[in-house]
Amino acid sequence: MFKLTINGTEHSIDADADTPLLWVLRDEVGFTGTKFGCGKGLCGACSVLFDGELTRSCIMPLGTVAGHAITTIEGLSEHSDHPVQRAWIAESVPQCGYCQSGMVLAAAALLKRTPDPTDADIDTITNICRCGTYNRIRKAIHRAAAEMKAAK
Amino acid sequence: MPDAVRRESLVVTRREFIRAAAAIGGGLALTLDLQAQEGGAPPAMRPHALKPPSAFIQISADNTITIVTPAVEMGQGGHTAMPMIIMDELDGDWERLRVLDAPAAPVYDNPMMGQQATVGSFSVRGWYAELRRVGAAAREMLVQAAAKEWEVPANECSVSRGTIAHRPTRRRCTFGSVAVRAAGLPVPQQPTLKASGDFTIIGTSPRRVDIAAKVDGSAHYGIDIRLPDMLYAAIKACPTFGGKIRSFDDSAAKQMPGYRATVALPDAIIVVARSYWQARKALDTVEVQYDLGRLASLDSAEVSRRLRAGITEPGEVVRHDGNVQHALAGAATVLEAVYEVPYLAHACMEPMNCTVRGDSEACEVWCGTQMPQAAQAAAAAVFGLPASRVTVHTQYLGGGFGRRGQADYVAQAAAAAKAVGRPVKLVWTREEDIQHDFYRPAAAIRFRGGIDSTGRLVALECNVATSSAPDFGGPARAAFYTGGVSDTTYAIPNVRVSGVNKDIGIRFGFWRSVNDSHNPFMLEGFIDEVAHHLQQDPYRFRRSMLQHPDGRRQLAVLDLIAAKAGWDHPAPGHFFGISAFAAFGSFIGTVAEVSVKDKFVTLHRVVSAIDCGVAIHPDNIQAQLEGGMVYGLTAALRGEITLEHGAVRQSNFNDYPVLMLADMPRFECYIVPSTAPPSGVGEPGTAPIAPALGNAIYAATGERVRSLPLSKYGFTLVSARA
Repeated sequence: MFKLTINGTEHSIDADADTPLLWVLRDEVGFTGTKFGCGKGLCGACSVLFDGELTRSCIMPLGTVAGHAITTIEGLSEHSDHPVQRAWIAESVPQCGYCQSGMVLAAAALLKRTPDPTDADIDTITNICRCGTYNRIRKAIHRAAAEMKAAK
Repeated sequence: MPDAVRRESLVVTRREFIRAAAAIGGGLALTLDLQAQEGGAPPAMRPHALKPPSAFIQISADNTITIVTPAVEMGQGGHTAMPMIIMDELDGDWERLRVLDAPAAPVYDNPMMGQQATVGSFSVRGWYAELRRVGAAAREMLVQAAAKEWEVPANECSVSRGTIAHRPTRRRCTFGSVAVRAAGLPVPQQPTLKASGDFTIIGTSPRRVDIAAKVDGSAHYGIDIRLPDMLYAAIKACPTFGGKIRSFDDSAAKQMPGYRATVALPDAIIVVARSYWQARKALDTVEVQYDLGRLASLDSAEVSRRLRAGITEPGEVVRHDGNVQHALAGAATVLEAVYEVPYLAHACMEPMNCTVRGDSEACEVWCGTQMPQAAQAAAAAVFGLPASRVTVHTQYLGGGFGRRGQADYVAQAAAAAKAVGRPVKLVWTREEDIQHDFYRPAAAIRFRGGIDSTGRLVALECNVATSSAPDFGGPARAAFYTGGVSDTTYAIPNVRVSGVNKDIGIRFGFWRSVNDSHNPFMLEGFIDEVAHHLQQDPYRFRRSMLQHPDGRRQLAVLDLIAAKAGWDHPAPGHFFGISAFAAFGSFIGTVAEVSVKDKFVTLHRVVSAIDCGVAIHPDNIQAQLEGGMVYGLTAALRGEITLEHGAVRQSNFNDYPVLMLADMPRFECYIVPSTAPPSGVGEPGTAPIAPALGNAIYAATGERVRSLPLSKYGFTLVSARA
């Protein structure tokens, strides 16, 4: 049994210690917004916040994450209204949408660290989108940054 | 889908009748009767007992408008564009719209290409006319119902956003309040359609219906299905194409935690377990002996050798204007060049997966699929059931790009579910996805261009060789795989195009933009070579060959991109490359602006334009052109699937790298205003970036790129923001 706090709620997980966090979230707990894309930490579809830090959950064994706090896309905001999510809707960013949970979390993590990111800062996001929504992602991040600044 | 298929299906003259269908819980439902009818026979209104799932629209008493979309949603906007077409004629309230995926049923076969398929940029162009009729018929019936109730002439009633009004008597009602009554009225077969100037939804960009669910994790893809009692399955296929499993030892797997079963397919091993990770780990312990088959020694060099032999063979001639041999013999100069492209994988972000529950009576399938009836047939075959006993629950697709038109993964999941007698979710790894795709074929073309003494291109000979072609139930025809070359609209008096399918044995895939993903790269590269040889401006040289009625729309696109790019005034040190052609019924063009230093290419800007007829959703058209460009740019720069010992060498995004945020050029996109019927949007945007970029690199360096990817030549993309 492993104890994990996911989106503010503690869960007891009965799974093998080497099970990647991704599959724990998806199959054991049911947070399917976290996506499987590559299994090697290459694409970022499985991104979650691990004690607030952006992390690729497909290469994090359950045994090493027990006791920590995980935020998935489902837990980013209570009403799907995080400034990044609002900006994503305003710019109609997603196409197929499969990578976007990871993209939204990567953007939220970037803005937490760098509230007014330059294009070069945004370029540090290495999540993959095959639909090619990158330029809209960039625009949406700038929009979210502006909104968060205005709200202060 | 291929043009060859489309042309054949168009031979069948099919009239589609709109029929009323029984609505759940009362209301108006309409469907199209797809039974083939001869010529212009009047609509035979037969009694019917259709159930709502075969309808296209249902208007309920609570004013909800449910639209069943025959186009699946894979990011291309089908779930928004299809309803827009109906809703505009209906004058429905967009806020009351509910969208459902169509089940697998022939009523949803695309009228233009004859299959229930979201492929080939066929959805809007195939459904536009019929869905307008559905919306207009429903509107007329609702108005008739209201007019009857009010005892006023129907033509005095007006409709706006789901509300019918009769101004003279100041009466108003909602669609929902008359929907039940409307359902009892005769269905108008030729309802009056709006003039394009009266559109209120088409040409605007309402928020796509799938966006909100895609930013908070609530959107459901095939991979997200969870059923009671469901088990998980992992798969590993024979590494070579055409190879088989000879024997296997799963004794270690049987000792692994959660293990439930091993399912041996002829060419793959599936392990079923309590959890997916347990299935993966148990599968890793299975020792398999393969019969690697006849392709066990195939490598990419051999593929290239066979293609280069193919372009010297006579081939199947698909177009011959004038007399090319004669014209080449008499030409002042003959230019010759050979172009070549590699295999490509689709690499959808969502790896292939499918969930199946079935028994001897019935079967259900949950997956993302571009062809629900193919998924249905695949599961039906495994369970030995008629297709009518198989229900397909289409989910959002985490990328399609042509890959999800295949149903291999459905058959595999069905086999596992049947073997264990419980619901099974099968999920491929990324490695399986890259190594067992249906690939964009490797291909080559030899061009010969004859130039006369006045400097005109008077002869063009194109010998196309492909490594694979789709099986349309007969020998692969060159008319299909020469597309993008054989249909060139450049005015050249002598043109000969022939094709050879070397049929190497690597399975063929429809890859976003299909033949246009490579053939225009080669032709537009060669045209650029001719222009430079003649010391003519590449843009104006193309212009000169489009001065005829069939070239009018392409010319307008060409002029637009040149003007928007500022073709005659590049920034110092910057160079342009241009490319424009027809694709999927549309006209597309791109200018790439680069600077190159020591093989480091900076792509400063990409300017694209399209004439796609009536622009249904301009914002989404822009998104598709941009996304298509990124897909094509990835392939042009880095995309390459290579073979070694009959197996694919690449395995994941580390060795099949794709573009990321840092790689993105500035992108501008223009839509030519048009009242022509709508044409393809999802795929054309992929095609022109490779030739535009190759031509720009030539302008900058004098080095001609005749094969892809550019990384082969040592070219590397550097960020325009670096």
